[in-house]
Amino acid sequence: MRRATQGRRAPPGRLARGAALAMLALACIGLTGCGTIEPWVKPYEREHFADPIMSLNRDPVSSVYMEHVFESREGARGATGGVGGGCGCN
Amino acid sequence: MKSRSAVLALGAALCLALPAFGASSGKPAPQFELPSNSGKEVSLAQYRGDVVMINFWASWCAPCRQEMPLLESMYRQYGKRGFVLLGVNVEPDSNAANNWLKQTPVTFPVLYDRDSKVSQLYEVSGMPTTIMIDRKGNVRMIHVSYKPGDENGYMSSLMALIREN
Repeated sequence: MRRATQGRRAPPGRLARGAALAMLALACIGLTGCGTIEPWVKPYEREHFADPIMSLNRDPVSSVYMEHVFESREGARGATGGVGGGCGCN
Repeated sequence: MKSRSAVLALGAALCLALPAFGASSGKPAPQFELPSNSGKEVSLAQYRGDVVMINFWASWCAPCRQEMPLLESMYRQYGKRGFVLLGVNVEPDSNAANNWLKQTPVTFPVLYDRDSKVSQLYEVSGMPTTIMIDRKGNVRMIHVSYKPGDENGYMSSLMALIREN
Protein backbone atom coordinates (compact mmCIF):
# COMPACT_ATOMS: atom_id res chain seq x y z
CA MET A 1 0.00 0.00 0.00
CA ARG A 2 2.75 2.36 1.04
CA ARG A 3 4.78 1.48 -1.97
CA ALA A 4 1.90 2.36 -4.31
CA THR A 5 1.52 5.90 -2.93
CA GLN A 6 5.26 6.44 -3.10
CA GLY A 7 5.17 5.52 -6.75
CA ARG A 8 2.58 8.20 -7.53
CA ARG A 9 4.40 11.03 -5.77
CA ALA A 10 5.41 13.94 -8.07
CA PRO A 11 9.12 14.56 -8.72
CA PRO A 12 10.65 17.10 -6.29
CA GLY A 13 11.42 19.74 -8.99
CA ARG A 14 7.80 19.88 -10.02
CA LEU A 15 6.66 20.18 -6.43
CA ALA A 16 8.99 23.12 -5.86
CA ARG A 17 7.72 24.85 -8.98
CA GLY A 18 4.12 24.31 -7.87
CA ALA A 19 4.94 25.73 -4.46
CA ALA A 20 6.63 28.76 -6.05
CA LEU A 21 3.56 29.40 -8.22
CA ALA A 22 1.28 29.10 -5.21
CA MET A 23 3.51 31.55 -3.32
CA LEU A 24 3.39 33.98 -6.26
CA ALA A 25 -0.41 33.76 -6.37
CA LEU A 26 -0.60 34.34 -2.61
CA ALA A 27 1.82 37.27 -2.86
CA CYS A 28 -0.32 38.73 -5.63
CA ILE A 29 -3.45 38.53 -3.50
CA GLY A 30 -1.60 39.94 -0.50
CA LEU A 31 0.00 42.81 -2.42
CA THR A 32 -3.34 43.80 -3.94
CA GLY A 33 -4.44 44.42 -0.37
CA CYS A 34 -1.44 46.71 0.15
CA GLY A 35 -2.27 48.70 -2.97
CA THR A 36 -5.70 49.79 -1.79
CA ILE A 37 -4.92 50.45 1.84
CA GLU A 38 -5.68 54.23 1.83
CA PRO A 39 -8.67 55.32 3.97
CA TRP A 40 -10.74 52.23 4.61
CA VAL A 41 -13.86 54.30 5.07
CA LYS A 42 -14.16 56.99 2.42
CA PRO A 43 -14.59 60.57 3.65
CA TYR A 44 -18.12 60.67 2.26
CA GLU A 45 -19.02 57.53 4.21
CA ARG A 46 -18.15 58.88 7.66
CA GLU A 47 -21.71 59.49 8.65
CA HIS A 48 -21.61 57.19 11.68
CA PHE A 49 -18.14 58.29 12.80
CA ALA A 50 -19.24 61.92 12.75
CA ASP A 51 -22.19 61.16 15.02
CA PRO A 52 -21.67 62.87 18.41
CA ILE A 53 -22.40 59.55 20.11
CA MET A 54 -19.06 58.27 18.77
CA SER A 55 -17.08 60.73 20.88
CA LEU A 56 -15.68 59.40 24.15
CA ASN A 57 -16.20 62.71 25.88
CA ARG A 58 -18.88 65.26 25.01
CA ASP A 59 -16.99 68.13 26.62
CA PRO A 60 -14.31 69.38 24.18
CA VAL A 61 -12.41 71.41 26.82
CA SER A 62 -12.22 68.50 29.21
CA SER A 63 -11.18 66.06 26.47
CA VAL A 64 -8.39 68.40 25.25
CA TYR A 65 -7.06 68.55 28.81
CA MET A 66 -7.26 64.81 29.32
CA GLU A 67 -5.56 64.17 26.00
CA HIS A 68 -2.79 66.59 26.91
CA VAL A 69 -2.20 64.75 30.17
CA PHE A 70 -2.26 61.41 28.37
CA GLU A 71 0.20 62.58 25.69
CA SER A 72 2.59 63.96 28.31
CA ARG A 73 2.49 60.72 30.23
CA GLU A 74 2.94 58.51 27.18
CA GLY A 75 5.54 60.66 25.47
CA ALA A 76 3.58 60.20 22.25
CA ARG A 77 0.64 61.87 20.63
CA GLY A 78 -2.10 61.45 18.05
CA ALA A 79 -4.48 58.66 17.11
CA THR A 80 -7.07 59.77 19.64
CA GLY A 81 -9.28 61.21 16.93
CA GLY A 82 -9.57 64.47 18.81
CA VAL A 83 -9.30 66.94 15.97
CA GLY A 84 -11.75 67.90 13.28
CA GLY A 85 -15.48 68.00 13.01
CA GLY A 86 -15.89 64.78 11.09
CA CYS A 87 -14.95 66.39 7.82
CA GLY A 88 -12.16 63.89 7.17
CA CYS A 89 -9.81 66.71 6.21
CA ASN A 90 -7.35 66.73 9.10
CA MET B 1 16.93 32.47 -11.94
CA LYS B 2 17.04 35.89 -13.56
CA SER B 3 13.84 35.31 -15.50
CA ARG B 4 12.05 34.08 -12.39
CA SER B 5 12.86 37.23 -10.45
CA ALA B 6 11.75 39.29 -13.46
CA VAL B 7 8.42 37.47 -13.49
CA LEU B 8 8.05 38.05 -9.75
CA ALA B 9 8.82 41.77 -10.12
CA LEU B 10 6.34 42.08 -12.97
CA GLY B 11 3.68 40.28 -10.93
CA ALA B 12 4.26 42.58 -7.96
CA ALA B 13 4.14 45.67 -10.19
CA LEU B 14 0.84 44.53 -11.71
CA CYS B 15 -0.64 43.88 -8.30
CA LEU B 16 0.40 47.28 -6.98
CA ALA B 17 -0.83 49.23 -10.01
CA LEU B 18 -3.53 51.65 -8.86
CA PRO B 19 -6.52 52.70 -10.93
CA ALA B 20 -6.30 56.04 -12.77
CA PHE B 21 -7.43 59.18 -10.95
CA GLY B 22 -10.96 60.56 -11.44
CA ALA B 23 -10.96 64.34 -11.41
CA SER B 24 -7.79 66.35 -11.77
CA SER B 25 -7.15 69.99 -12.50
CA GLY B 26 -7.07 70.87 -16.19
CA LYS B 27 -8.81 67.69 -17.29
CA PRO B 28 -12.45 67.42 -18.47
CA ALA B 29 -14.87 67.01 -15.56
CA PRO B 30 -16.42 63.51 -15.39
CA GLN B 31 -20.04 63.61 -16.48
CA PHE B 32 -22.90 62.59 -14.20
CA GLU B 33 -26.64 62.79 -13.78
CA LEU B 34 -28.36 62.86 -10.38
CA PRO B 35 -31.83 63.41 -8.92
CA SER B 36 -32.28 66.86 -7.40
CA ASN B 37 -34.43 68.50 -4.74
CA SER B 38 -36.66 69.97 -7.46
CA GLY B 39 -37.64 66.43 -8.45
CA LYS B 40 -35.87 66.64 -11.80
CA GLU B 41 -32.75 64.81 -12.92
CA VAL B 42 -29.85 67.21 -13.21
CA SER B 43 -26.84 66.51 -15.40
CA LEU B 44 -23.53 68.33 -15.56
CA ALA B 45 -23.74 68.49 -19.35
CA GLN B 46 -26.74 70.85 -19.25
CA TYR B 47 -24.58 73.57 -17.68
CA ARG B 48 -21.91 73.57 -20.38
CA GLY B 49 -21.01 77.20 -21.05
CA ASP B 50 -21.48 78.22 -17.40
CA VAL B 51 -18.94 78.25 -14.61
CA VAL B 52 -20.00 75.30 -12.43
CA MET B 53 -19.07 74.80 -8.81
CA ILE B 54 -19.74 71.37 -7.34
CA ASN B 55 -19.82 71.17 -3.57
CA PHE B 56 -19.87 67.71 -1.97
CA TRP B 57 -21.56 68.05 1.42
CA ALA B 58 -23.37 66.17 4.16
CA SER B 59 -25.57 67.28 7.03
CA TRP B 60 -23.31 65.43 9.50
CA CYS B 61 -20.26 67.40 8.36
CA ALA B 62 -19.78 70.51 10.50
CA PRO B 63 -17.57 72.50 8.08
CA CYS B 64 -20.07 71.79 5.27
CA ARG B 65 -22.89 73.24 7.39
CA GLN B 66 -20.69 76.21 8.18
CA GLU B 67 -19.98 77.11 4.56
CA MET B 68 -23.52 76.49 3.27
CA PRO B 69 -24.87 80.04 3.98
CA LEU B 70 -21.74 81.50 2.35
CA LEU B 71 -22.24 79.38 -0.76
CA GLU B 72 -25.86 80.48 -0.83
CA SER B 73 -24.91 84.18 -0.79
CA MET B 74 -22.32 83.52 -3.51
CA TYR B 75 -24.99 81.84 -5.63
CA ARG B 76 -27.50 84.64 -5.02
CA GLN B 77 -24.95 87.17 -6.16
CA TYR B 78 -23.61 85.42 -9.26
CA GLY B 79 -26.31 82.85 -10.08
CA LYS B 80 -27.69 85.00 -12.89
CA ARG B 81 -24.29 85.84 -14.34
CA GLY B 82 -23.28 82.48 -15.74
CA PHE B 83 -22.51 80.73 -12.47
CA VAL B 84 -24.09 77.47 -11.32
CA LEU B 85 -23.65 75.88 -7.95
CA LEU B 86 -24.54 72.21 -7.46
CA GLY B 87 -24.66 70.97 -3.89
CA VAL B 88 -24.09 67.22 -4.07
CA ASN B 89 -25.34 65.58 -0.89
CA VAL B 90 -23.41 62.37 -0.21
CA GLU B 91 -25.77 60.81 2.33
CA PRO B 92 -27.47 57.47 1.54
CA ASP B 93 -30.60 58.71 3.32
CA SER B 94 -31.60 62.17 2.07
CA ASN B 95 -34.05 62.86 4.92
CA ALA B 96 -31.35 64.19 7.24
CA ALA B 97 -30.20 66.57 4.50
CA ASN B 98 -33.74 67.73 3.73
CA ASN B 99 -34.50 68.33 7.41
CA TRP B 100 -31.36 70.38 7.79
CA LEU B 101 -32.18 72.35 4.64
CA LYS B 102 -35.52 73.34 6.18
CA GLN B 103 -33.60 75.30 8.80
CA THR B 104 -31.02 76.65 6.35
CA PRO B 105 -32.80 77.00 3.01
CA VAL B 106 -30.70 77.30 -0.14
CA THR B 107 -31.79 78.34 -3.62
CA PHE B 108 -29.14 76.43 -5.60
CA PRO B 109 -29.91 72.87 -6.79
CA VAL B 110 -29.18 70.15 -4.25
CA LEU B 111 -28.42 66.78 -5.85
CA TYR B 112 -28.63 63.44 -4.08
CA ASP B 113 -25.71 61.05 -4.57
CA ARG B 114 -27.31 58.30 -2.50
CA ASP B 115 -25.12 55.45 -3.74
CA SER B 116 -21.88 57.54 -3.69
CA LYS B 117 -21.30 56.94 -7.41
CA VAL B 118 -20.42 60.56 -8.15
CA SER B 119 -18.28 60.82 -5.00
CA GLN B 120 -16.32 57.84 -6.28
CA LEU B 121 -16.16 59.31 -9.77
CA TYR B 122 -14.62 62.53 -8.43
CA GLU B 123 -12.57 60.65 -5.80
CA VAL B 124 -13.73 62.88 -2.99
CA SER B 125 -10.85 62.76 -0.50
CA GLY B 126 -12.31 64.93 2.26
CA MET B 127 -15.51 66.61 3.31
CA PRO B 128 -16.47 69.11 2.04
CA THR B 129 -14.86 68.99 -1.42
CA THR B 130 -15.41 71.91 -3.77
CA ILE B 131 -14.68 71.67 -7.48
CA MET B 132 -14.70 74.52 -9.98
CA ILE B 133 -15.41 73.73 -13.63
CA ASP B 134 -14.83 76.30 -16.36
CA ARG B 135 -17.14 77.14 -19.27
CA LYS B 136 -15.49 74.51 -21.44
CA GLY B 137 -16.19 71.76 -18.93
CA ASN B 138 -12.66 71.38 -17.54
CA VAL B 139 -11.87 71.01 -13.85
CA ARG B 140 -9.93 74.10 -12.76
CA MET B 141 -9.88 74.00 -8.98
CA ILE B 142 -10.21 71.23 -6.40
CA HIS B 143 -10.51 72.36 -2.82
CA VAL B 144 -10.78 69.89 0.06
CA SER B 145 -12.12 70.87 3.50
CA TYR B 146 -13.38 74.24 4.65
CA LYS B 147 -12.12 76.70 7.19
CA PRO B 148 -13.29 80.30 7.59
CA GLY B 149 -11.70 82.41 4.88
CA ASP B 150 -11.66 79.66 2.23
CA GLU B 151 -14.64 81.35 0.58
CA ASN B 152 -12.23 84.06 -0.60
CA GLY B 153 -10.41 81.40 -2.61
CA TYR B 154 -13.70 80.26 -4.14
CA MET B 155 -14.52 83.86 -5.04
CA SER B 156 -11.18 84.61 -6.69
CA SER B 157 -11.42 81.37 -8.67
CA LEU B 158 -14.97 82.26 -9.73
CA MET B 159 -13.94 85.79 -10.70
CA ALA B 160 -11.13 84.46 -12.88
CA LEU B 161 -13.27 81.79 -14.55
CA ILE B 162 -16.32 83.97 -15.16
CA ARG B 163 -14.19 86.38 -17.22
CA GLU B 164 -13.04 83.60 -19.54
CA ASN B 165 -14.98 82.90 -22.70
